[in-house]
Amino acid sequence: MRWFDKLSFWLRSLFHRRSADAELDSELDFHLQREIAAKVSAGMPPAEARQSTMREFGGVEELKEECRDTRRTNYIHDFGQDVRYALRVLRKSPAFSAIIILTLALGIGANTAIFSLVDSLLLRPLPAKDPSQLTVLAFRQGHGPLLTQFSAADLRDIRSQASGAFSDMLGHMLAFDGISLNGKADRAFSEYVTGNFFTLLGMKPYAGRFFLPSEGQASGADPITVLSYGYWKSRFAGDPNIIGQRILVNAHPCTVVGIAPPEFHGLYPAPASQLYFPFGMLGTFEAGWPKDLMSNRILQNLYVLGRLRPGVGLTAAQAALNIVAQRLSEQYPETNKGMTLSVYAERFARPDPSTSSTLIKAAALFLALVGLVLLLACANIANLLLVRSTGRAREMAVRAALGAARNRLVRQLLTESILLALFGGAAGLFLGMLASRGIGSIDLHTPVPISLVYGFDWRIFVYTFAAALLTGVFVGLIPALRASRTSISVTLHESGRAIAGGKNRVRTGLVILQVAGSLMLLVIAGLFTRSLGAVQHTNLGFDPHNVVDLATDPSEIGYGETQGLAFYESLLDRVRALPGVQSASVTSSVPMSNYGNNDYLKISDYQNPPGQGLPLVDYGVVSPQYFNTMRIPILRGRSFTEADQKGAPYVAVVSQAFAGRYWPNQDPIGKRFAKVSGVTNPVYEVVGVAKDCHFTFVTGPIEPYFYLPLGQDYALSSLQILQIRSTAPPDIVIRETQDVVRSLAPDLPLFDIHTMTESLDTLQGFLLFRLAAGLAAALGLLGLILAIVGVYGVISYSVSQRTHEIGIRMALGAQRAEVLKMIFGQGFVIVAAGLVLGCLSAFAAARLISNMLVGVSAADPATYSAVTLILALVALLACYIPARRAMKVDPMVALRYE
Amino acid sequence: MGKPTDLVQGTLDLLILRTIALEPMHGWGIAQRIQFVSKNALQVRQGALYPALHRLEQQGWIRAEWGDSDNHRRAKFYSLTRAGRKYLEKEQANWERLSSAIGLVLDAAQS
Repeated sequence: MRWFDKLSFWLRSLFHRRSADAELDSELDFHLQREIAAKVSAGMPPAEARQSTMREFGGVEELKEECRDTRRTNYIHDFGQDVRYALRVLRKSPAFSAIIILTLALGIGANTAIFSLVDSLLLRPLPAKDPSQLTVLAFRQGHGPLLTQFSAADLRDIRSQASGAFSDMLGHMLAFDGISLNGKADRAFSEYVTGNFFTLLGMKPYAGRFFLPSEGQASGADPITVLSYGYWKSRFAGDPNIIGQRILVNAHPCTVVGIAPPEFHGLYPAPASQLYFPFGMLGTFEAGWPKDLMSNRILQNLYVLGRLRPGVGLTAAQAALNIVAQRLSEQYPETNKGMTLSVYAERFARPDPSTSSTLIKAAALFLALVGLVLLLACANIANLLLVRSTGRAREMAVRAALGAARNRLVRQLLTESILLALFGGAAGLFLGMLASRGIGSIDLHTPVPISLVYGFDWRIFVYTFAAALLTGVFVGLIPALRASRTSISVTLHESGRAIAGGKNRVRTGLVILQVAGSLMLLVIAGLFTRSLGAVQHTNLGFDPHNVVDLATDPSEIGYGETQGLAFYESLLDRVRALPGVQSASVTSSVPMSNYGNNDYLKISDYQNPPGQGLPLVDYGVVSPQYFNTMRIPILRGRSFTEADQKGAPYVAVVSQAFAGRYWPNQDPIGKRFAKVSGVTNPVYEVVGVAKDCHFTFVTGPIEPYFYLPLGQDYALSSLQILQIRSTAPPDIVIRETQDVVRSLAPDLPLFDIHTMTESLDTLQGFLLFRLAAGLAAALGLLGLILAIVGVYGVISYSVSQRTHEIGIRMALGAQRAEVLKMIFGQGFVIVAAGLVLGCLSAFAAARLISNMLVGVSAADPATYSAVTLILALVALLACYIPARRAMKVDPMVALRYE
Repeated sequence: MGKPTDLVQGTLDLLILRTIALEPMHGWGIAQRIQFVSKNALQVRQGALYPALHRLEQQGWIRAEWGDSDNHRRAKFYSLTRAGRKYLEKEQANWERLSSAIGLVLDAAQS
């Protein structure tokens, strides 16, 4: 019970300080009275008794303080006192406090915004049970690229054979389907998942039920769906009776059985899945999948997520997978020869194992940049606090003279700066929320709106709080130590005219660092902007100007192949007749978009390198005139014509890169190849070669690509994007086209309506470059502003400190120009030193990011010189204003000052 | 008899604990008792008593209660807690061992 006695004693002295003090008073008083009474009864006169008692007893106040100290609650009381005092000080100079809080809010807000982005992309675990056990699987075929999509059959085998290391394994694939209820159709991101999907993640349904592990195994057996919470709210207005209702998926009936919990957005970092279907329904809901979808090892669609057994590490799991891969490649040499499996912790495999390192690097870069901005803000604030600590030297000296211990003064000043920082942090959190909502609302040009940021979680609050606290200590420590070190007698005897000298050295150093830091930020912003410019001027191989894109899918309203083809034919005829239209065509795939087809190819006259699987090649299903609309030149042979129909020989057009890689130095016309995973796999004869285009990424090497005619391969993609090249304004073309579609098929929804230049602004297209350039530019600008404020602050402070000196100089005959030169010279030295230091550090930093740059070198002289020039001009302008003020000093006024 | 001996730091705690082991006492009473029992050899500096009492209370060895003193004034009475009693036994044993050891050394030096 001793701890209880101790605690109650402590609590009493903490919360009943007054009564504890009163008790102490009366306790001591009792003692004194008793002692006096004893002395009196021993025969001493009362007055003498009192005096001698007091003498023996010693200093009563000192004793009381000693007793209070034993209670160990002084720290807390002192802290409360410090906070109250600090608040009073801050209120006394509201402008000063406001500037500091605002500066901090900008610095911390920028950090919060960037961190919220990193948090939602990389740090936040999936809202699953024990997310640390979740892993992502990938494989390689021979020396081929790292692939992340497995066939259903491979997944089944790996799951059962690696069950020693993995308690379960799920597969999922993202798709895009037409959903209609009561005749109203729209598009939605759907996820086809194995039946154990929700069980493995360990989630509870918000309403209804999830799939059973047995569901989704057999083709077409379970026409059911689970809705995401968000989709249920937006599409079905949160209708509680939706469970058990029937909806149409691409015109196939399907029953809603459950609703997923609100915090679950699917397994992808950015796109939010809206509906979940059992994987077995893929062939039923979507046309174009072969019947052996569940057993064909060539059809690789499923991303695989495994849950490790408790206590099993990645190494052990990898070892188990190595054995499975060995067995599979021996068992199925046709499809799995040379297969190797690899496993990654889910958190470090976003968005997928092959690109996660880039994402992590980019995240680290931007966190570093934004940290630099905060440092610049800190330097400004430290400067301001230093100025003020000079002003408060007297106050500190008086307090020290009255007996305040040095650490007590440091604590007081630190309390002030931490309090400021916390206020700044709160304001920063607010700004950061606004900024992060801004980032979240960036249109990613995906078919349905998706967001990069899903609200705030505790990590962001902890991060912001920690940043604010660190900032408070960081900016407060130097001024606090300096202020507390002041010699009492010197300060108290001083007239109050500060002798600037030594104090300015720290401040000048801080400003030099600021100029350097802001130059570094600006250089990186410049490099990213140049990079964006280079990317935008890349010759993509097609002409995206004056083209509008509208996507549609007749299968959503139940059209079969014949109906669909007829629809597209009359649509194109009617659209071509619209005023201003130069050409119109349809395609299954728009460059840099989320749509696209690919398949493994068997290519005649081409020997697969040993140990490698069949080549995986992207392709598009297009109508005649496609090459005209896109202005892609046909280099050899012919383009597609209306004669390329069912019944005619199967034909294809290949890209230059295709011909060059598989038939180098040969005539590609007349060569043959076949896809392997279609319902039927006809042999195509090459009839033409098209010029290379950037289809999947705006940068990097151009991969092989081929085209198939819509007339022969409608089944591969009923979803088509109508592309219209017109001299008329895009909004008119879009409106007229919508009218045409409405008159042809009133219920058919059109979606993804953009000009083609807009639609290139996707994650695969320009968006990442634009985001990087935009973020870096915003940070650079922030850094610039902070550095300018810093330069201005230190120069104008030095002018105000030297007013007296300038007055004397002028009284002794110095010319105004000389005064201007003197002040300007001081600024020039600071700026020049900062620029030199900045160029060196920027060069070092830029080399680290050189692999994120396109078309511009990390040492790009144009960027460096332009940025240096701009910064120098603006910084010198910031010196000019105080310098002018110095020039106008009236000697009489200056000398009479004080 | 010479000057009253100054109390070594730490021994004051032991004396206080031993004194209030018999019955609860107030500060003045403790000082008087120590002086009386030690036949004026030990004189507690009045001021030093209270920080020591508060420290002992903070450590949980003793507890304080307000009660009526013999002259009908309210006074703060200190008594041993159970933990304090154990602590006293231990410290007293330590002290006895130490003093007898010192006594042995001094005796040996004399002979």
